[in-house]
Amino acid sequence: MIRNYFKTAWRNLKEHKFHTFVNISGLAFGLATAILLLLWVQHEKSYDRFHKDFSRIHRFTAHLDANTVWEGVPGPLAIYAQSLPEVEGIVRINEWNGQVLATEDRSTVLDGFTTAYVDSTFLSLFNFELLKSRPEQLFPDPYSIVLTESTAKKFFGDDDPLGKVLQFRGDNLTVTGLLHDFPDNSSLAFDAILPMAHYAQRFTADGGNGQWKTIDVDMGSYSFTTFVKLRDGAHPEVVGKKFTQLYKDARNGESTVQFNLQPLADMHLVSADGNNAAARMVQIFLLIAIMVLAIAAVNYINLTTARALVRAREVGIRKVVGASKVQLFLQFIVETALLFCFALLVAVGLIVVLLPLYNDIAGKQLHFSLSNMEIWKVIGYSALGTLLAAAIYPALLLSGFQPLQVMKGKMASGVGVTLLRKALVVFQFAISMVLIVATFVISRQMTYMRKLDLGYDKSYVFSVALPDDAVEHIEAVKNELRNHPGIVNVALSDMYDITNMGNATGDLEWPGKPVNSSLIIAQSSIDKDFIPTMGIQLLEGRNLTGTAADSNLYVVNEAAVREMGLTPPYVGTPISFHDRPGTIAGVVKDFNFKSLKEKISPLLFFHWYDGSMLYVRTTAAEASNAIKAVEQQYQKYAGDSPAPFKYNFVDQQFEAKYRTDQRAGLLFNIFAGIAIFISCLGLLGLSTYTVRQRVKEIGIRKVLGASVASIVQLLSAGSILLVVLAVVIASPIAWWVMNTWLDDFAFRIDIQWWMFVLAGGAALLIALLTVSWQAIRAAVANPVESLRDE
Amino acid sequence: MIKITELQKFYRTEEVETVALNNLSIHVKAGEFVAVMGPSGCGKSTLLNIVGLLDDLDNGSYLFNSIEVAKFNERKRSDLRKHNIGFVFQSFNLIDELTVFENVELPLIYTKVPAAERKKRVEEVLEKVQIMHRRNHFPQQLSGGQQQRVAVARAVVNNPKLILADEPTGNLDSNNGNEVMQLLTELNEQGTTIVMVTHSEHDARYADRIIRMLDGQVLMETVG
Repeated sequence: MIRNYFKTAWRNLKEHKFHTFVNISGLAFGLATAILLLLWVQHEKSYDRFHKDFSRIHRFTAHLDANTVWEGVPGPLAIYAQSLPEVEGIVRINEWNGQVLATEDRSTVLDGFTTAYVDSTFLSLFNFELLKSRPEQLFPDPYSIVLTESTAKKFFGDDDPLGKVLQFRGDNLTVTGLLHDFPDNSSLAFDAILPMAHYAQRFTADGGNGQWKTIDVDMGSYSFTTFVKLRDGAHPEVVGKKFTQLYKDARNGESTVQFNLQPLADMHLVSADGNNAAARMVQIFLLIAIMVLAIAAVNYINLTTARALVRAREVGIRKVVGASKVQLFLQFIVETALLFCFALLVAVGLIVVLLPLYNDIAGKQLHFSLSNMEIWKVIGYSALGTLLAAAIYPALLLSGFQPLQVMKGKMASGVGVTLLRKALVVFQFAISMVLIVATFVISRQMTYMRKLDLGYDKSYVFSVALPDDAVEHIEAVKNELRNHPGIVNVALSDMYDITNMGNATGDLEWPGKPVNSSLIIAQSSIDKDFIPTMGIQLLEGRNLTGTAADSNLYVVNEAAVREMGLTPPYVGTPISFHDRPGTIAGVVKDFNFKSLKEKISPLLFFHWYDGSMLYVRTTAAEASNAIKAVEQQYQKYAGDSPAPFKYNFVDQQFEAKYRTDQRAGLLFNIFAGIAIFISCLGLLGLSTYTVRQRVKEIGIRKVLGASVASIVQLLSAGSILLVVLAVVIASPIAWWVMNTWLDDFAFRIDIQWWMFVLAGGAALLIALLTVSWQAIRAAVANPVESLRDE
Repeated sequence: MIKITELQKFYRTEEVETVALNNLSIHVKAGEFVAVMGPSGCGKSTLLNIVGLLDDLDNGSYLFNSIEVAKFNERKRSDLRKHNIGFVFQSFNLIDELTVFENVELPLIYTKVPAAERKKRVEEVLEKVQIMHRRNHFPQQLSGGQQQRVAVARAVVNNPKLILADEPTGNLDSNNGNEVMQLLTELNEQGTTIVMVTHSEHDARYADRIIRMLDGQVLMETVG
């Protein structure tokens, strides 16, 4: 019997090629899109879950005040852990980016490595694969280093790296272990790990941090990302409170810092301050995947029920010769399943073809391999869910036909069926409408951010980290460069990235400072050329002078004077910064030095020491010459074995910050397009059905003298009304969704009424084109044909 | 075999109630060949559909092989139908997507006859209706007469006790019509009961008995 089902199904698919094509393409695009999305979602959700005890591992976060949360915590927390029975293990990680490593003979010097000092417990908490050496002999002494496979390969090729020596920050370190490269779904990813003992030794040798001479007692430096593994049944909140109390006791009660524990598994999607924008993005993508599948399923239902009219006669015959309802139901389920298999094959083909492009857009390295069980899970859930959603209703409808009626051609086109089909079209177009509006809003917001006046001029400025020797001769370097025709201005700062300044402190005193003030202010050392070079506007007072007097002059931004509660004139206000008394010399206009998702916060410029970041303003035409000139100076002071020369353009750094949002925007465009495409297929199904149902009416109207236009209008009006309804329903939903999304941005556009008009107009136009195609075909047909048919 | 008493059937729309069959009683014995005749709209097709359990009656009694079937539900009717009744329609009603062989095989599939047995029986019956050489053709590749022979083959493949034919020659020319009538006569001679609705006096002459209807009632019966 099953064979017969398949045979009929196959011949049906072959016979009605247009219907089959429309159905398979709708399902295939839907499935491919949803599976790609789900792969992304699955990857995002898989972060850090490969550790055996991931559910018991937590990261410390330090809550300095309601708005300031740091991912680093002081070193002594690891010492307190010993007194807490809930704690099974603890590890501190001190991460450094952009590090230089060299072979002992300095024949190979490479930079850009991310290294981390870690406690020896690192591999007892985390399950990173150690290829050579054993966890317990990982760091036999402070001068050990463990490399990842890729790093080792860069220096030693295929040779065994164990026992080889690498130079790092002037020390010779022996390679004592080899790690498999960190998985791409790991929040922790380093090129090399070093013993914390090494860091501790240097810390003490460099004089420590004020009164604190070892990292185990240094209460002041929040520079260790610290993970704790709790025993079964321990409550993270309770443990966090205990650590908070222990720290407070150690500081003689003078601490308001709270330590909380964040689950390791949340780390990737929820930032330390609880911002879950990334997690929300994953939810949105999951929702879109389900929506796209729903649209595809709805489509199938629409097309299949629309074709029921044609299939009805067959159902009648089968019933007359003895088919039971169950048998017919199964037959239609088999048909749907067969169609699904084809759609799935096409979808898999589409995925394989589109994955590189998708990876490119999504900024991911997703792999699609049919031997991966996880992939099958995703495919299985999507296919099964859609199959169930799409197959049951049409099968029930078809198998329920009364044979006598349908064989006479009197198929009851029940009000219920028609209404349902209309409701489904409204549903599809409502989703499409939301996606179109989302596309508008996202692209407008991205353009707005790109064109936003940041408060400084980010074009044609690049930064270079200078070698120490160049900093010592900075005036000579600057003079040389200023003479270069391609260089407009040069300045020095300690700001590694002006588009994302992370360095902040609470160590600021001023007259009238409230006792409970928890003001955190961004801090940066600059020279007198920085403000003019960057095009930052001075509102009041004056710039730094470039003389010794600068050491007690401070320049602050508007947000700083506002939040400090100062009254104008601000210039001359005495302040004490890190216990150094001085005065406010000038106030600059607020400029964005953090993500545009955040408000501009207080900022203070000072000049006690020279930073090592050179900021160079050039011009479009002379940029490459300017870079060459800076590189010459760089090489001049870099010594015998320099780290490679590197530069970053500020506008590119800025762009990079919003790449994720831009990618999301691009993905939205694509998803919206696919959703609309599939919805149109559904509408096409509905209009085919409507036209077929009214063939006789059209024939009679034409015989009586109706024009083609009036018939097209007659046939299209119903579908267009449905789309209008969808637009009306979707508009408030779209407004709410996108407004919520925009709330993440401190600098944002407002949603405009014309976006809805444009989106609605687009949806209507597309719908009209789809429907009128069928309508025109029906309207120009010879009426004699349709009447004879009856 | 068929004993219908005081049968009433109405068709209702919102405003009008039409009496299709009005206190009709008929009796068909096993092995009989009965023709039902009458003008269009007299209720003969309705009667045939009720006899074939494709439609239900509003009042009266219907005994099929001495079993009251008037109150049977859809599942029971379907069951009874597939084991006892074969249908032949004016418009053949073959499934376009299935070959001649597969169309004829269909009733056997639904009665769960094993594949080997199915093949044997389908071939037998195709031989009988002389369409074996076209077994792998699709309906649209055959002439009307051939299609109706296939329909007859499908109607008899399950060895039904009763064949209901609704104007079986209505769409055929006289040669093909005669062939089909010949076929039905042969089946009747082999013991199958046949009830046939027809407009054609010529076809009616093949029957043992002619029931003439008017306005939902039996007008007269003539024995052939």
